Amino acid sequence: MRKPSVFTSRRSELDIKMTPMIDVVFLLLIFFVWTASFQVVEHILPSSVSAVTGTSPIDPNQPVPEIEDFEDVVVRVVSENGRVVWRVNDQPVANLSDLKRQLQTIASIKKDAPVILHPDPGVSLGDVIDVYDLSRLVGFEKVQFAASESI
Amino acid sequence: MRMPDRLRNASGEFNMTPMIDVVFLLIIFFLVSSHLAKQESQMELPLPAADSGSLPDEQSTNPRITVNVLNDGAMMLSGRAIKAAELQEVLVAKKAKVGPDLEVRIRGDRKAAYQFVEPIMLSCARSGIWNVTFAVYRTEDVR
Repeated sequence: MRKPSVFTSRRSELDIKMTPMIDVVFLLLIFFVWTASFQVVEHILPSSVSAVTGTSPIDPNQPVPEIEDFEDVVVRVVSENGRVVWRVNDQPVANLSDLKRQLQTIASIKKDAPVILHPDPGVSLGDVIDVYDLSRLVGFEKVQFAASESI
Repeated sequence: MRMPDRLRNASGEFNMTPMIDVVFLLIIFFLVSSHLAKQESQMELPLPAADSGSLPDEQSTNPRITVNVLNDGAMMLSGRAIKAAELQEVLVAKKAKVGPDLEVRIRGDRKAAYQFVEPIMLSCARSGIWNVTFAVYRTEDVR
């Protein structure tokens, strides 16, 4: 490389070196872009289908039992004019925390009681998963989905 | 810019600093791009929130089918729309090809009606696929 003229040496004393600063700023920029992860981590929820092996847990020909039977805990999720209503063995439940309390009570007596989740077709998946998650959280070992109509 | 002194550097030693800079940049670049590439393979959906979920096993080599259910009930399978009737054929064919370890992951919009999700689970049960999972977010990530 050719060495520039005589003036260089005099100017150099005032010069701030930009290149390392740009390097560092660039690195910091990339680091923060990378760590600010824009996407939330996805978790997985095993469904009732995977919990049971062998026989089909969903039988479209079998109607969901209407009468309350302590063997089964039937949780219905019904949508009434845009509002979600829960029924545990046909007893209406006002809100999610009440539902949790009821399920907890049942779970403390009989943990292996099968919970049958029977949502109305119009209920949103989020509300269904809420109840499903709740039943799993309070410790039920077997939570299943009912299929009432043949599709 | 100040030029390096000829005499001082003339001994033939390399200046390592620029090389380390460049290598470092390249490493970071590839890390970032692989990270972003992984994210882009998934369709963006507002998944339901749940706390009893677990982190997916990234090391798992089980074959997997991901079914996306959109807000309006449309079903997407590997980038194309699919009808509920077709789904079962696809599942049966895939299971015959890869064996019983097949996993079906349902990524549903939390606003999607349950009537659009139910047929997927039914199809899985009818095709003999037991490994069905829902993709969810942690509750604290959503609210």
